[in-house]
Amino acid sequence: MTDAFHIDVPHTDGALAVIALSGEFDIAAAPAVRARALELIATGHTDLVADLSGVTFCDSSGLGSLVGIWRCAKDADGSLTLAAIPDRLSRLLSVTGMDTFLPAYSSADAALAARQGNRTTA
Amino acid sequence: MPPRDQVRQVLAAEDLVDMAGGNVPSELCAQVGEQLVARTTKVVTFAFSPITAPGCGLAASTMPVRTTKLAVRSGAPARSVGFRRAGCLVGAFLGGMSETRNMPEQAILPAIAPSEPLAVSVEAARMAAVRRYDILDTPPDGAYDRVAALAARLFEVPVATVTIVDEDRIWFKAAHGLEGVSEIGRDPGLCASAVLSDDTTVIPDTLLDPVACSNPLVAGPMGVRFYAAAPIITADGHRLGTVNVLDTRPREISEADASTLTDLAAVVRDQLELRLSALHVIRAEQEKRQAEEEARQRAERDKAAIAAFASTLQRTLVPPALPAVPGLELACHYKTASPQEVGGDFYDVFPIAGGRSAFFLGDVCGKGAEAASVTSLTRYTLRAAALVDADPTAALKALNTALLLDAAVGTRFCTAVFGLLDPARDGGFTVTLATGGHPPAYHLSPDEGGGVRVEAVRAKGGMLVGAFAEAAFASRTLHLAPGEGLLLYTDGLTEARTVDGHMLADTGLTDFLAQRSAPVSAGALIDDTVALLDTLPDTERDDVALLALSVPTADAAPAGITTTAHSAAAPTAPADASVGQEIRRP
Repeated sequence: MTDAFHIDVPHTDGALAVIALSGEFDIAAAPAVRARALELIATGHTDLVADLSGVTFCDSSGLGSLVGIWRCAKDADGSLTLAAIPDRLSRLLSVTGMDTFLPAYSSADAALAARQGNRTTA
Repeated sequence: MPPRDQVRQVLAAEDLVDMAGGNVPSELCAQVGEQLVARTTKVVTFAFSPITAPGCGLAASTMPVRTTKLAVRSGAPARSVGFRRAGCLVGAFLGGMSETRNMPEQAILPAIAPSEPLAVSVEAARMAAVRRYDILDTPPDGAYDRVAALAARLFEVPVATVTIVDEDRIWFKAAHGLEGVSEIGRDPGLCASAVLSDDTTVIPDTLLDPVACSNPLVAGPMGVRFYAAAPIITADGHRLGTVNVLDTRPREISEADASTLTDLAAVVRDQLELRLSALHVIRAEQEKRQAEEEARQRAERDKAAIAAFASTLQRTLVPPALPAVPGLELACHYKTASPQEVGGDFYDVFPIAGGRSAFFLGDVCGKGAEAASVTSLTRYTLRAAALVDADPTAALKALNTALLLDAAVGTRFCTAVFGLLDPARDGGFTVTLATGGHPPAYHLSPDEGGGVRVEAVRAKGGMLVGAFAEAAFASRTLHLAPGEGLLLYTDGLTEARTVDGHMLADTGLTDFLAQRSAPVSAGALIDDTVALLDTLPDTERDDVALLALSVPTADAAPAGITTTAHSAAAPTAPADASVGQEIRRP
């Protein structure tokens, strides 16, 4: 029932990096996500796009790591953008009010395009 | 007893000068063989114990005297037999003096340099060694018995013994031919004298020996006439006792025999050394075991102390007992995923000013001890905030600030629902509910058909608490009339998986609640919700907290009676709780 959690970085471009998550984003996965993202930020990829299309479940720990990443990106004058948020996670982000802080796009490409200054997809 | 010429030879000029303080008749010295003096290889210092030889000037002094001795190791072998023996040396010396009568007693006595402190310290060190070997009063031991038997056989004597000289007695470690004797007094002449020398003592005829002649073994019924002894000398030079051979008739022994006796004493010495090292090993082992035992006990005490401390601390983390709120029925359920019974879920109900009460329920991000520390901070912050400003959004704001001030900022945040209960005229309550990113509470109210209507109480704009400095919190007000109830929960309930692997989710929960009948009772609501959780597999994965409030109808709760049955139970958890300790109230 528990999917193996995967973290990929399919795309980097200057300060931009896409971090794609798939599986159950819970307390078991959260530390690794956080660590990977902070590593990207530390290596100059301060504008992160989290592709959440593969996330089947997200609990408070998952949200926690998103908040942590958002903070670190902000401290590095960067940003965290969410892309392809599954419905349930979308509701969770809404309930927790996180959607007001984290810009969201329908897909990673849309998020990238927006981050690159082409704001037509927002 | 050595012949007179030997006696004179042993009195080498230096010795005599030393012993007599320089006042030695020259004719004695003159007879000392030049060769003997030239062969002197080692000078040994030893002490005499008090000697009481009647008619003997030197012995009468009863003073230990310091002297030196010649030819200890080699030198003139033919002469050394006699020279090697302290007692004999004295005897010979005295004999020589008394026979030659060349030296008046008074002339020599004052000249002897008393050195009692030295003798005392030597004896003290010797006794320390005796005690160190811890051999006194030990049971018979075959090894020593064999040495005694061997000595008796080799020397063809009726009695052979292995003795240890104690402070005031001579104790027999082995006694061949002396059955039933375990110790004798430390009378001079035999063992007591022999133990004072590094050399083998030989007294061919005790009756001719001025000291030995009065020893009880000689003068008494046993009538010892021949005595020879070799001291048992430890590696560090202490004489513990002697190996002795005794006969009832006088006899001479050869130097080879004397060496044999020395060897037997060495065997005893080796045996004692072996025994001592074995004792050391055993003692070291015992000490090690003792140290290990002490360490183990200390560890257990520490463990118990830590457990007691953790238990005390844990009680501050677990939600407290629910108070009695007049006109309100309260019930709750609390279960942690961690075996330490600390978790990230929290709730509380407490009275505030103006007859009002406040309550909150929330969920700290994370689990276990890490989450519990935030839980604690959260609970106390909310309680304190409510005392300052009863407005629920203000309380969440205060919590947000407190969490952001925390050192681990950004990693510690929570979702929470905070409510204010204001008694209403109809017996119900006006509830002001603020939410900080928490799933909606459910308001259950009777519908026309005897069932309940389930409404999610959402406050638009409530955000995660402790994550964003700019976070905003919103509140909503609702009326909780008699017969109605409110259910607050953490995601441990809605994220619980059903048998088919799906989460219960909001829909599952609302469906479950919608099946209930009116009026709503907080106790029954919690009972049934817990029963629902119990039907779900794998619910020990997450912390779960449930809090239900209901206003009893007039007929269910006569005026003046507070309905607190479900909150009366103490929240204390059993100390030996295992994984997923469940605290249920009632």
